[in-house]
Amino acid sequence: MLYVENVETFDLSVTINGMEIKRTVPTHLRLLDFLRDDLRLTGAKEVCGEGECGACTVIMDGETVNSCLILAVEAHGTNIQTIEGVTPAEGLTDLQQAFIDKHSVQCGYCIPGMILSAEQVQCDCENPDRETVKQGLAGNICRCTGYKKILDAVEKDGE
Amino acid sequence: MSKEFKYIGKSVPRVDAVGKVTGQTRFITDEYLDRMIYAYPFYSDIPFGKITAIDISPAASQPGFLGVLSASDIPGQNQVGVIIEDQPLFADPLVRFIGDSIGIVVAETESAARQAARLVNIQYEEFNPIFSINDSKAATGNFIHDSNVACQHQVDKGDINTGFAAADQIIEADFKTQFQEHYYLEPQGCIAIPEENGGITIHGSIQCIYYVQKAVARVLGIPQSVVKVIQTPIGGAFGGKEDIPSELCARAALAAVKFNRPVKMVYNRRDDVQLTSKRHPFQIHFKVGVSNAGKLLAAHIRLEENSGAYATLSTVVSYRSSIHAMGPYVIPNIKVRSTAYYTNLPTTGAFRGFGSPQATFGHERMMDIIADHLGIDPVELRLKNVLRPGDLTQTAQKLEVSVGAEETITSVRDRSSWNSLRQNNQNDRRYLTGIGIAASHYGNCLGAAGWALDGAGVKIQIRRDGSVGLAYGLADMGQGALTVITQMAADALGINSQRISVLAPNTDLVPDSGPGVASRNVVMTGNAIRDAAAKLEPILKTAAAEMLGTDAESIKIENDLIFVDDVKKSDFNILADYLFVGNSQMDMLGWWHVPALEYDPVKGIGEAYFTYSYATHVAKVRVDRLTGLVFVDKIWAAHDIGKAINPAGLEGQVEGGTTQGIGWALTEQFKFDRGRVLTDNLSTYLLPTIADVGEVETILVENPEPLGPWGAKGIGEPAIIPTAAAIANAVSHAIGVQMNEIPLTPEKVLDAIEGRTH
Repeated sequence: MLYVENVETFDLSVTINGMEIKRTVPTHLRLLDFLRDDLRLTGAKEVCGEGECGACTVIMDGETVNSCLILAVEAHGTNIQTIEGVTPAEGLTDLQQAFIDKHSVQCGYCIPGMILSAEQVQCDCENPDRETVKQGLAGNICRCTGYKKILDAVEKDGE
Repeated sequence: MSKEFKYIGKSVPRVDAVGKVTGQTRFITDEYLDRMIYAYPFYSDIPFGKITAIDISPAASQPGFLGVLSASDIPGQNQVGVIIEDQPLFADPLVRFIGDSIGIVVAETESAARQAARLVNIQYEEFNPIFSINDSKAATGNFIHDSNVACQHQVDKGDINTGFAAADQIIEADFKTQFQEHYYLEPQGCIAIPEENGGITIHGSIQCIYYVQKAVARVLGIPQSVVKVIQTPIGGAFGGKEDIPSELCARAALAAVKFNRPVKMVYNRRDDVQLTSKRHPFQIHFKVGVSNAGKLLAAHIRLEENSGAYATLSTVVSYRSSIHAMGPYVIPNIKVRSTAYYTNLPTTGAFRGFGSPQATFGHERMMDIIADHLGIDPVELRLKNVLRPGDLTQTAQKLEVSVGAEETITSVRDRSSWNSLRQNNQNDRRYLTGIGIAASHYGNCLGAAGWALDGAGVKIQIRRDGSVGLAYGLADMGQGALTVITQMAADALGINSQRISVLAPNTDLVPDSGPGVASRNVVMTGNAIRDAAAKLEPILKTAAAEMLGTDAESIKIENDLIFVDDVKKSDFNILADYLFVGNSQMDMLGWWHVPALEYDPVKGIGEAYFTYSYATHVAKVRVDRLTGLVFVDKIWAAHDIGKAINPAGLEGQVEGGTTQGIGWALTEQFKFDRGRVLTDNLSTYLLPTIADVGEVETILVENPEPLGPWGAKGIGEPAIIPTAAAIANAVSHAIGVQMNEIPLTPEKVLDAIEGRTH
């Protein structure tokens, strides 16, 4: 990546999907751009760029965050998981499988963010009811599905 | 039609789901190529005027700047109008809306291109802009184009004066609908790659690859045969990626040729909202004559559409809304005028339904107003007039089969317990409750006005290892086309669906199959699959017969196996290899076109579409007396889709379409400041979230269409068409005031409850 000259930089050290990454980055670089453009972890998507849609969701030290609202330098010393890291080396998580089984996916652009938020809902609450799931996913916009089948999948992995 | 299939009619999982749940699916935004550079448009920041000077020097001093391209750099024609040729690729010298692209900046990085584009300094001579339909109509000079009328369609059947004279009651009303932004989550984007032969390859989020091929060839002045367009997975479109990608791709292609490097262009969200098309706002006037018994006798309907600065797909919207103006009802005398007017706002174009949701808002609000006047239950009024087999539509087209309108009405009535909910409200001190119904029909495919584009193909190729590639020419924008195509092809060929790979739509693989729009994918591609399979069948059977020492008539291919007189003898792998070593042809192009339609465009009489999908929604709402907020607790959605190829996928279409309809009815509102969109992102343009949506119950009415593949008709657009009208009818029922304009914002609803008029 070609950076504009004379910008302030920072020596970033961050753990991403279990791997320690050290890079010199411009201080104004967003975490989302660092993940996508520098590391080519393109599962996180930019949709609104202002923290409303949740498509750029990643998990940072156990909490979901909008990576478009966080500077890469703010991630210094943290532990980040993206959809690429949540996906097992072989197969899928129960939740990913439930999204397939319950026909929860259409265009797919919101889905990585949606799944990370849903993983977090299930992590915070073992058997979330429909209202809990709704609260946990209210920051993730989907324009295709009408959400019903997403709710079906997340409520106890579609049980 | 009762035959049981292995895949058709089953809710098989999506074939593209694994990539989507793991984030591995590569959308155009996720593609990075070696030596790739970036282009970004700079555009008019005034609504109407003439460019007097362009100063690029502030942009040119940015690090990474490579160059600027504008109208004078176009080797071919500066024209991308998809139907009416009124739209330059780069404005020159007139600019007609804020967002009218004047040129592009090309730079080494995306951020440099975007930043530099903002620095280009344009000087203008400003004209008085026009924003409303009424101002556009009233203008006597300084027209936006040669005139301010973009297009008009009409229907004239019978004699409305005779009809009105015979009527017991004549009822008039006006309705208004607003803009709607597609807000597909994946922004508009493409990559253009220059080729050694002087041609170009385009990858992008594109509904209509052949439209892009035509536009790029025209702008570059090169033959279509050297323009290859390949569709990347589409992250939502809803019509918004029908014509707009032609602009992006042509601009990126210009830069790719000029700099001889791959060029990527992706709009940021605010520009995507400001620069691209929306749903047409309509203003609608109805005058209807009815008998006291509730029979519709005559209707005079005026539909007026805000087309924005260019016509784009206004002709389709105007045509479709004129044909659907009175809805799925018998009407002996009707006059319709549907007119789109230019204004200095962003263009309005294709959006799920092409004017049908707006037309339906008009006729379904009108039906409730009529029912109220006559003291007839809204369901009863609809059943007295609904189109049944043998009836004539408003264009005098005789409907013979697959006319499920009545069943969609009766099934939602029964499932929603309409009678008891309508008569016994559950009002309390805080909430008023209501229930409303809306029925609709939707002409499948492009209809008489677009018949010349209404053919489509598939290419099926069997490989030596028994795997099968299937190329098609339309689009999966999320609705699940890849899956239903796989299902249909597997059953048509008698093979396991896992053998089949559906290839990315590519202009080199299949002849021009028209646009990926109008809910035409299942019908067109499905019928082309049937054709290809029918052509392959004799080849497969002859080879199998030869291989097994029998005659072709005794061969059956089913479930991956080859049977001779119903005894299993071989399998598809062995047959594929046998075909190859026998030098047999192993591929076939399947083709289907809509049958010729007899239609008189001057009178608007005849076969407007070859068949119709029907839908009726019932909405149950609660209205907060204190805040004016509307909650949609439940929608029952009955759809006559002929035959559901994949019922769960179809439900997903209905749930998603309905939810978009809820947004359009309640929260999605455009605000402009002299042509600049103020609601250009999610903090101000409110889409339904998971916390906002109530229940949706889908009811499938399977009334097979003989010309549809396995009986199927389209569903993508019908899903949204009646929703907003059903909600407005329910709110009107809840608060006892006729709500004739959407969105039903809390302010509007509260004013209505408290008796304030607008």
